[in-house]
Amino acid sequence: MRLVHYSQDAGLDGMWHAAFVRSPVPHGRVCSVDVSALPPDCVALLPQDTAALGRYGCQLKDQRVLADPARFVGDIVAAVAAPTRSRARAAAQAVGVDFDELPAVFDPLAAVAEGAPLLHPESGASAQDKVSIGVRPLPGTNVCHRFRLFNGDVESGFAASAVVVEETFRTASAQHAPMEPHATVARWTEDGRLEVTTGTQTPFNLRDDLAGALGLEPERVRVIAPPMGGSFGAKTFTRLEAIVACLARKAGRPVQAVLDRGEEFVTLNRHPAVVRVRIGAEPDGTLVAKQLDCWADTGAYADCGPGVATKMGYAGVGPYRIPHVRVDALAVYTNLPPNGAFRGYGATQSVWASERAMDLLAERLDMSPLELRRRNLLRDGDRFATGEVMRDVHFEECLQSAADAVDYEDDPRGKGLCVLLKGMQTPSRAAISVERTPVGYVIRSASCEMGQGIRDSLRLQGAALLGCEPGQIEVPDPDTDSSPFDTRTTSSRSTYMMGRALADAVRDLEAGGGERGYGEIANEGGLDPDTGQGIASTHWHQGAAAAQVRVDEDTGRVTVERLHAAVYAGRVVDRAGAELQNEGSMIMGLGTALLESIEHADGQITNANLSDYSVPALGDVPAEMTHELIERDGAEVHGLGETALPPVPAAIGNALASLGVGLAELPMTAERVLEALEARDRQAAGAAV
Amino acid sequence: MTAWLAPDSLEEALDLRAERGAEATVLAGGTFLGILMNQGFLVPDTLLSLGRIPALDGIEVVDGELRLGAMATHRAVERSAAVREGWPVLARAFSLVASPRVRNQATVGGVMADADYASDPPAVLAALGARVVLRSARGERAVGVGDLIQGYYETCIAEDELLVQVRVPPSPGRAVYRKFRSRSSEDRPCVAVAAVRGAAGLRVVVGAVAERPQELPDVCALADTSLPDFELAAEIGRRYSEGIEPMSDSRGSAGYRRKVIAAEVRRAVEALA
Repeated sequence: MRLVHYSQDAGLDGMWHAAFVRSPVPHGRVCSVDVSALPPDCVALLPQDTAALGRYGCQLKDQRVLADPARFVGDIVAAVAAPTRSRARAAAQAVGVDFDELPAVFDPLAAVAEGAPLLHPESGASAQDKVSIGVRPLPGTNVCHRFRLFNGDVESGFAASAVVVEETFRTASAQHAPMEPHATVARWTEDGRLEVTTGTQTPFNLRDDLAGALGLEPERVRVIAPPMGGSFGAKTFTRLEAIVACLARKAGRPVQAVLDRGEEFVTLNRHPAVVRVRIGAEPDGTLVAKQLDCWADTGAYADCGPGVATKMGYAGVGPYRIPHVRVDALAVYTNLPPNGAFRGYGATQSVWASERAMDLLAERLDMSPLELRRRNLLRDGDRFATGEVMRDVHFEECLQSAADAVDYEDDPRGKGLCVLLKGMQTPSRAAISVERTPVGYVIRSASCEMGQGIRDSLRLQGAALLGCEPGQIEVPDPDTDSSPFDTRTTSSRSTYMMGRALADAVRDLEAGGGERGYGEIANEGGLDPDTGQGIASTHWHQGAAAAQVRVDEDTGRVTVERLHAAVYAGRVVDRAGAELQNEGSMIMGLGTALLESIEHADGQITNANLSDYSVPALGDVPAEMTHELIERDGAEVHGLGETALPPVPAAIGNALASLGVGLAELPMTAERVLEALEARDRQAAGAAV
Repeated sequence: MTAWLAPDSLEEALDLRAERGAEATVLAGGTFLGILMNQGFLVPDTLLSLGRIPALDGIEVVDGELRLGAMATHRAVERSAAVREGWPVLARAFSLVASPRVRNQATVGGVMADADYASDPPAVLAALGARVVLRSARGERAVGVGDLIQGYYETCIAEDELLVQVRVPPSPGRAVYRKFRSRSSEDRPCVAVAAVRGAAGLRVVVGAVAERPQELPDVCALADTSLPDFELAAEIGRRYSEGIEPMSDSRGSAGYRRKVIAAEVRRAVEALA
């Protein structure tokens, strides 16, 4: 058994504990902060302490260390540190803050309407994410990014279509709900360097963000990333680290922050989204035109909302040949907690919409949904809507695997399908080093372990390349002082990118005498945010899912009897790990499909706990849950950490639709299903009259 | 800081209760208080723990009556041979609460004294005609579930009293508990229906839909003259649905609950036919 030290366990001598003073109003200027009731033996970080510091943010620099104005209920306006966690919390409650309330907006469509209150009237100046997409804010609005994609002439495409369907779909906000909450320790060394030990998937992004906010050279910041007890996107970019660093500096000692479950719900969630799909086809089902309009609610700060909106936009095109495509995807500020990376990263929301729309189209064409998809799937050598030529394409096999798993072709009733494509972070860079030790090797990389198994994956790949046992390879925690640069541990890229960098490093080691090797891989590309043309991904995640459902017609309760996902793996590195990724993705997809929704009233989250917010339990796993990792001899490794999540909601939604129960909003709660059943029966009764 | 009182005997506990009254919050398994405290809804000055009092967790049958000690856990009730044999519906209802981890901790006394509208046991205990024993230094009294639970998280337990036991009369011929979950399998009920049919006729109690368990004796009396059949079951379901004013929460709106009450009461009564 291996003892794991999480960030929460990183106790340092003389360390104090942090607690946060959070805004009770959704939008308001801080008028005054009263610290007269603060107990002795604690330190408070106040607006005047941070006013001169820089802004931060991974794609738009729209965040300050302490918020003013507060832009959501839970925004951090001050912080305290004290010798124990409970004393820190008591001290935080003793801080009195007066707010001058401002108008607030909680819905992305309302936020883009004329006259909506503006969250960041000053923003829109600079796009900062060097390794990602260009960011296109619309100045003077709440739109922090607009992504557009044009291919062909969509209006003439619709004019030429025999059948056009249009529908608007919604996806609720969700919590990552990792077992381990956010935990961060910061300390300042005697020579003035900042050392942060934190649960993060993005140590180098974090280092640069902290350096920018605190006015330090990046090399003066060290980020150590111990394994995380789950993350799913929650622990990306700068979360608590800047505040904890400032508290530690003011306290003159190390400070740790560990969130409680309720605070997780105001730290980072998944983008709720509205996606309108319009799709047209010829009578034989050949797709002609598709238009996608997306509103991704990114909450009070952009975080990676621009990236999410972009991916939502192009993933919503789907793995199909469509001559005329237009996408308009907006990331929109609202006065809700920030939304960011979440397993599925934008694809979840638009795959739900676009693949439900495919079944609506099939119904209108009186055609099998399987046949409609088959007829239009991208094949090797086809051009995607972004202009890039697709290679190593396996959508048809994924779809067939899904259909076969539920005997779709024997009887499609109560069954549904979904097929998807999902891109990987492009461009990006991954570097790795290998050193020989007396007992084996040390492999250093900044790929972060969050339970997905990257350390095992690197050990297994390293052992195969180096001709040793996996147990002879040590993989230390990522550390920006000693790990080579990596863009980040996101978008299911690590086994693929680091694996290739590792092969490069081993070649270097062998060429250089066997003691030390360094490898680096870069994938080039990126999309023009104004045209959607370019290279969306150098490596496509391809998958499909099928579901078979039973519905209690009196209560609307849905039982998923069979659920199957097929994922193109190319070549499996760690079979047990890959299987767990698929199963975990499917179960999270089940939660998104049927259960999970963050609710709010006047901007206050009303179900910020795991009793009122419902995640799937073991008893909710379908009696028959299967998956397939599709491999090809000699194929490249393919990332698969998320692929089986986004297709699950649409597979279930399409299974319900096959019973006449059409839903456009996630989650498909029993109540919504019952309403749809009643609508179906009313319609049938109307038709009978 | 919260003070911690952990008496070794019931007498001592009753003395502390008389002395401290409402200022000391009674703690049994802690599954409910723990959530309230974690969320900051409750910051007790003092906790009065019953965990060290011996013999409060007994499960026994005396003269055909089941006696559940206040500190008996849900899991113990679910697994008790005596309960499974004599009151299988009760064993089943307790087995449907949350997850084994919660059931190993949550107690019979705790769930009744919390009077949380969304718990499983109150409805089934009400339908079985159970009474809870409230003891104080002044003496002892037994009240029915309908008298115990007076509103959302409100009971008739006096400031110097402790709920020490739940007494369940001999089980009637047929009984059923239906837990309808609108969300996860480990969720609390959206609608809970307990129905029993014995010498005294039909009793149907609907839980988790309003501030306290709902029973409509006039509607149940429809079954006095004829054996419940499918038509009568549907009629009883309809009347329960019309007669109850359900509430809305994250498990379902009031309107949705009305529809589910009709279906689930019908199904429960059908199961007794």
